[in-house]
Amino acid sequence: MFYRQSGIYHTRYEATRRLWPIPFERWQVGVILLLVLAAPFYLSALYLQSYLLPWLIWSAATLSLTLLMGVAGQLHFGYAAVMAIGAYSAIHLVRFGLPFEFAFLGAGLIAALIGCLFGAAALRVKGLYLVMATLAMQYLVDWLIINVPAISGGAHATLQAPSARILFFSLENDLVRYYFALAWAVLLTVFLLNVKRTSFGRALVAIRDKDYAASVIGVNPFRYKLLAFFTSSFLGGMSGAVLAFCFYRAVTPEQFSFNVSTQLVAMVLVGGLGSVIGAFLGAGFVLLAPMILTNIVAMLSDFGWLNVSVNLLSHLPLMIYGALILGFLLAEPLGLAKIYDNIRNYFLVWPFKHSRR
Amino acid sequence: MGRIKKFRLFTGSMLVAAALASPVLQAQETAKFALFHDFTKVYTFVADEISQGQRDYVTLINEEGGIKGYKFEALVRDHGNEPQRGIELYNRAREEGVVYYNFFSTPVSNAIVPRALQDKVVLGMPLTGRADAIVGEVFPYVFPMMATYWSQAARILQYIEESEGGLKGKKIAYVHIDSPFGREPIPIVDKLSRQKSFELRTFAYPSPGNEQSAVWSDVRRYRPDHVILWGAGNAQLVSIREAVRNGIDPAKMLSVVWLTETDMKNVGERTAIGIKRAEVVKPGRDHPIIQRILDKVYKAGKGAGPEERVGSSYYNYGVADMVVTFEGVKLALEKFGPPLTSEKLKLGLEMIRDLDTQGFMPPVTITEQDHQGGGYARVSQWDGKAWVPVSDWAAAFQDVVWEQARESAAKFNQTK
Repeated sequence: MFYRQSGIYHTRYEATRRLWPIPFERWQVGVILLLVLAAPFYLSALYLQSYLLPWLIWSAATLSLTLLMGVAGQLHFGYAAVMAIGAYSAIHLVRFGLPFEFAFLGAGLIAALIGCLFGAAALRVKGLYLVMATLAMQYLVDWLIINVPAISGGAHATLQAPSARILFFSLENDLVRYYFALAWAVLLTVFLLNVKRTSFGRALVAIRDKDYAASVIGVNPFRYKLLAFFTSSFLGGMSGAVLAFCFYRAVTPEQFSFNVSTQLVAMVLVGGLGSVIGAFLGAGFVLLAPMILTNIVAMLSDFGWLNVSVNLLSHLPLMIYGALILGFLLAEPLGLAKIYDNIRNYFLVWPFKHSRR
Repeated sequence: MGRIKKFRLFTGSMLVAAALASPVLQAQETAKFALFHDFTKVYTFVADEISQGQRDYVTLINEEGGIKGYKFEALVRDHGNEPQRGIELYNRAREEGVVYYNFFSTPVSNAIVPRALQDKVVLGMPLTGRADAIVGEVFPYVFPMMATYWSQAARILQYIEESEGGLKGKKIAYVHIDSPFGREPIPIVDKLSRQKSFELRTFAYPSPGNEQSAVWSDVRRYRPDHVILWGAGNAQLVSIREAVRNGIDPAKMLSVVWLTETDMKNVGERTAIGIKRAEVVKPGRDHPIIQRILDKVYKAGKGAGPEERVGSSYYNYGVADMVVTFEGVKLALEKFGPPLTSEKLKLGLEMIRDLDTQGFMPPVTITEQDHQGGGYARVSQWDGKAWVPVSDWAAAFQDVVWEQARESAAKFNQTK
């Protein structure tokens, strides 16, 4: 119905290779882009600052992780540590006197180098064993941050993000922070959409499916596994810096603890491995569902429809949230992105039930 | 002329009517307090009781007719110790015009501090958050209100000094959870160890502290004269069990405020008789404030939780937080009148001088410079049934605490 394909004839290779060959989808993307661009004008500060902004930043982080987990097939359970390295590096570099733009790049580079170091384990181990290696990274980085006051920022282990400028705009401004995070998320989205179509992306996919087979067809697993870790950690570190400067503005080790790593993995899995739209849906679900559920439950209680103790009231959203994750994954193990895809496929051939793809 | 007179009379009566009506209008005013907690993740050991104490005291004030025509409403939500959820709650509460915020979680409070300073709203941070926030000039809107971890550690050392006749040459083991909370007092105890020339060794057990056996055999071999425990929740139980197993005399152990009746029951009431803890509020029901709560709130069936909890150590901390805040509200409304705003509340809190709570808390004095309230604490001892005070309220080594706080606050100021 919506996704009309009739009348679309590709007469040139460029046309077939477009990111969105169906006109309706181009419209969709355009409208969404306009909506988020105009968000500060119609959304209240509450929804902009505590829903949309963190959603964008976490989506960016999920996109960087899905490059590693979804596209290259390398499990990573210490991704919060990668983001922590980025966040702390960026803050320390800015405090050291570097302009924010360079500190931002530096944060990515430092995170990429350290990420590669642990990623090197991936050259020897796979699957659950790689999970263990990345877990070690999480705990080592946590330990280092807490135990080195020069990194953590003294006895309170809280480090304020210093005031900085991006190009000519001060990051003290709410709007600048929002647009910077938005730009970063859009950049990563475009990057990830395209990377799957490059030789680099195809090599990663080959490695994910079977690294022996990949090396038989001439893809060097050593090189590409390391590159996957490098790229993903680079982007993850920068996303961590965005998180520190645009959202938290004060970093503590707890913000990058193991729980956050599992949340990130959950974002990738619930969204759908390797999917771009899945990263947005997954991040949105894992990040926002607990907040929204808490508010709904609290509202029901305020109306007097839910007369239970505060303790149970606080745990109810968690129970519903858990049930929702289970429900979604039972209904569609390939994640929210697949649910969207099913809906899209249905409308693609509507009113018929099947057609040749 | 007659017309003008009539007009004057009319306007005059209008003014009188307005003046008469305004107290009636005020009586319907409601001020909101945001009393958020981590009910679900890390602070579960304390959140229920503190929250109940806070809400019961708010109910008590409302039952007693409010303050200067104001009634109060407590917003209670769970932030799960996650900064991003805390920030969402904070922004939402700001839209509702909340005047007092308390998140009761160190990571969340720390994430809110820069926002509260920017938005000029009062952030109460008793027993959580950054210890250098006592410096009022740097943190004008942040109120730790009670003795911080630094002051508690100093008070514990002062108690040892008083009861043992000096600290010189003593061997003190500082056993802590390996987290920012556990490491926080180290600069203070370290500084004091040099000043008072006692031997200090720190022992860290990994967070969350369910497994500490290796650490405690180290502590045993060190043969300390005193052991300072710095943990919370279940980690404290494990610490006590391991210490007792390693033959360390409970009477030599002193803990941070996070050790309560429930913990002692869980570890076995008679397992660690003689263990001591720092205390900033009097526990138990034997006090007029708690009696008022029992009378006016629980007899009316308006209690926020089970009545057995009333008077537990943590419950009373919740009450104490509200006692100080309401004193600030009262002073602010007396001095500046309605409407109650966060900015007025800040000034009101800073007007508290020697708050007399009939022994419920040490005398609290909050000034523009000192947001700690004086830093008073005392030491109490477990006798197998209850916590019995073994020292008076005192502020210990505040010179060292303030030097450290000013230094740390100056660093915060640089990066702001």
